[in-house]
Order: sequence, then structure tokens, then C-alpha cells
Amino acid sequence: MTNFNWLLDGSIVGVYLLLTMIAGLMVRKYVGKVEHFLVAGREMDVYLGIASLAATEFGIVTCMYTAQNGYEKGFAGATPGILMAIAMAAVGLTGFVIKPLRDSGVITIPELLQQRFGPRVRWAAGVVIVLGGLLNMGVFLRTGGQFLVLVAGLDVRYLEIMMTVLLVGVAVYTILGGMLSVLVTDFLQFVVMSIGLILVTILILMNVGWERLVTTVETHYGAGGFNPFVNPTMGWQYVLFNLMLNTAAVLTWQTIIARVLAAKDTKTGRRVYTRTSFFFVCRFLIPGIWGIAALATLGPVPDTLEAMPRFLSTAVPAGLMGILIAAMLAADMSTDSSYMLTWCSVIYNDILAPLRKQPWSERKGLFWNRTIIALIGVFLLLYGLWYPLKGDLWTYLGVTGTIYLASISVLLIACCYWKQANSWGAVASIVVSAAIPISYLVMEQVPSTAALAKSIGPYYSGIATYLLSGAAMILGSVLKPQARSREGVA
Amino acid sequence: MPQHWFWWTATAACVVWYSTITIYVAIKGAKDIKNMLARLDAQSRKDKELEDS
Repeated sequence: MTNFNWLLDGSIVGVYLLLTMIAGLMVRKYVGKVEHFLVAGREMDVYLGIASLAATEFGIVTCMYTAQNGYEKGFAGATPGILMAIAMAAVGLTGFVIKPLRDSGVITIPELLQQRFGPRVRWAAGVVIVLGGLLNMGVFLRTGGQFLVLVAGLDVRYLEIMMTVLLVGVAVYTILGGMLSVLVTDFLQFVVMSIGLILVTILILMNVGWERLVTTVETHYGAGGFNPFVNPTMGWQYVLFNLMLNTAAVLTWQTIIARVLAAKDTKTGRRVYTRTSFFFVCRFLIPGIWGIAALATLGPVPDTLEAMPRFLSTAVPAGLMGILIAAMLAADMSTDSSYMLTWCSVIYNDILAPLRKQPWSERKGLFWNRTIIALIGVFLLLYGLWYPLKGDLWTYLGVTGTIYLASISVLLIACCYWKQANSWGAVASIVVSAAIPISYLVMEQVPSTAALAKSIGPYYSGIATYLLSGAAMILGSVLKPQARSREGVA
Repeated sequence: MPQHWFWWTATAACVVWYSTITIYVAIKGAKDIKNMLARLDAQSRKDKELEDS
């Protein structure tokens, strides 16, 4: 049973979807060049940047894994959000990496890497970024569909149809309007999403109560539910892995960096970072509280990922249910559109660019960008349908993200601040950083090595990736010094 | 101050952040969109004039 009312809640969701589509399609007339399509002509200002970044980095998938963290780990599950907020504020205040990156005027990170490490490294970095990014995004659709089906009380058989409808809607305005549509719809989605999140959180705090939330965490997890260092499923290795992961994400995650690159100047990009930093605490803590409330109300459930939507389906009254679903749709659509555009920009700018003998016209460039987005949509649909998720969602995202976060963060830091860094070190770093997480994912899926993968665990594997990727850069650069023919960027 | 003050403060700060920042960003962000589209419009007119001439 669910409180979803088709007439009342369905109308709220319908109006929201209609407004988003209209807004997304209206701005397509401003897209005349590839630069408009990929980085909104670099005309984005601070507040639009804050809204867009916050909307992009909060999707249904975020809500699901952070709620799962809250359900399984208590308040300590919000630790990655706190670490990310600290990293974001520090980078925004100092301009570390993002300043030279924005000053260089590039469209993507690999484009900057070419200036130091050459075109082959640019191409390889592009492949790694797209591989890690698409594997990461591959689970978004299914998780989003799962949430909507459970909350609205639909038959699970409709999940695939729900996923397809979601994706097609998002793809239409992203294909036509590119970054401009993404920014404008992100803004609307930020407002709708924030209203839904705050209303549902206040409702939960009023109905379940703070004392009951705390008692539930104490009963199930003891001190470990409040302190990650004493939680048996977390420990120092969880905190260290998440510190590395979140710092690397702040520096190199293409969807985050896209806001710096679309900003009208470097100062604006840095201000977007500083002022959005606290949002990353909210991003983990608010759904985390929803997850704890699910634990308090439902008790233990077989699938912890489904606990929060099952709880919300009966805890949220009609009317507010429509706002909640509109908010979650908003969250998901903004994330999907930005991610599709971002990976498209890397495929177009860094993977296909070196294969072109002559520069393409703006018209041809726009055509290919739109085609790539459509193909990414098809991939997401197929991958989302058959990949069986093992372990918790946040860890899967962390492991797949590490495929590129480790090497690209090392490459980017070296590119900006280490004069001795060269292409040998860069290639060694990329290979090491891709090999470890991919091996871990394969070992996890193969029955004969699944036990070994479990005994190593994702955190040690992740920490090793970051450390060895850095070591590979140093060793490669020192052992095979190159005559520096290219100018550094710092 | 309740027990587990750190998490209580963080939760309260999140509720306050969302309740206040959303309104502020909504107003300022709408102005940003208006200005961004105006600048792009002016830019495309300028490009068109250059092409024509």
C-alpha cells in the first residue's frame, strides 16, 4: 500500500514534468556553437552554478545510497558527505588545481593534460574518464526506477518502462539544448528538489522524532552508529578511502568540474565551490536520516536499498507525496542530463578529436554531440537492465569512480604543480589506476575469486589504487625523464 | 543541547541551510539565467552581424 494519489499527486508530478520540458526546450534557440552546447558559452554566474551543481550532484541514486548508508551505518554513514564538504571548501578557498584548470580555457580535463603529456595521454585519459563515468552512471536508471516504483506503489514489472520513459524525457531536452538546457532545468529542479527534501525531512523529524532516531541507531549500532572509526563495517580504512575518493572527485569529477569550466571566470568557479560545500553534508545527512527513520519504523528488511522508499510510501501523505516524487524526479533528471552531457563532451572533445583530420564545422560538431548523447542513452538503458549490483551502492560507485578518479587526479595535480612529470608517469598512473578497480569488480563477479575480493574489501583496494597510482606517476617520470618540449600550465 | 550534539547540530544546520539558501539561490539564480540568456543573445546578434558584413 502507498499513499500515492493518482489524481492529486499525479497532477503535481505532471505539471512539474511539463514545466521542465518547456523550460529545457525553450533555450535550445540559444545554441549556435559547440561551445554553447558543451559549456553554455562560459556565461554561467555564481547562483546558477550553485543551483546546477547541487541539483546535478543529488539524484535518486544519491538519495538511495545515502539512505542505505544511514540505514546500515547510522549517523556515521554521513561521513563521506562531511569529508567532501571539507575538500570542496578547501579547494574553493585555495583554488588548488581548479584555478590553473579554469585559467587554461579548456573544455575538458584531458584537453589540459595534452599540454603537458601529449595527445596520446589526452586520448587515454578520455577513454578512462568515459569508462569510469559510464560504469558509474550505469546503475542510476535502475535505482531511480526502483525508487519511483516502490514509492508510487507500482508493479515492479513497470520498472523498465519507468526507466525508459525517464531517460527519453531527459535525453530530448539535453540533445536539443545541451548545457544551456541542463543549467536552466537544473535551476528549476534545484528549487523543486529542495522544497521536497525539506518538507519530507521536517515531517520525519516531527513524526518519528529525534530521540527515536538516536535510540534506534544506539540500539542497532552502538557507538559505531555515531563514530565511523569505531564502526566495525567502516574503520580508518573507510574514512581514508572516502577522503581520497572525495578529494579526487572535487578535483576531477567531470560533472563537478564542468561547472568550473562553464563559469564566466575563475573567481566565479571558486565561489561556486566554496558556497556549495555545505550542501554535500546535507546530501548525505538528510537522506541518511530518512534511512534511519526507515530502520526505526520498519526494522530489519532483506534489501536495505529498498528500506527508505518502502518507508516513505506509507509515511508521506497524499499531496506531499506528489511533491516528493516531483522532487526526486527533479533530482534524477538533473543528474542524468548533466552526466550524459559531460561524458559526451569528453567523447567528442578528447576521444574523437584526435581522429579528425580537419576541424569540423559548428553544425557538424553539434550533430555529433547530439548523436553521442543519444548513444549514451542507449548504453545506459542496456547496461542498467542487465548489470546485477553486488554489495552496497555507494561502494560500487566509489570503486567504478576510482577507475578514473585516482589517475586523473594524480595527472592533474602533477600537470599543474610538478615540473618533472612526464607522459611515462602519466601512462603508468592511468594503467595502474584502471587495472586495480576493474580487477576488483571482475573478482567480485567471478565465483572462484569472490571470496578473495571480499577478504580484501573495497576500501583497501581503493586506498591501494590511489597510492599506487601516485607512485606510478613518480616512478614513471623519474625513471624515464623526458626532454621537456612542452610548456607547463601552472 | 541533546546527546550526540554533533549530529544534532549538523542536522539542524542542514534544515536551516535548505530552508534559507533555496529561497536566496532561487531569486539570484533566476537573475543569473536572465542575464546569461541576454548575453548569449547579444553575442549571437554580434556574430550574425559579422557574418553579414
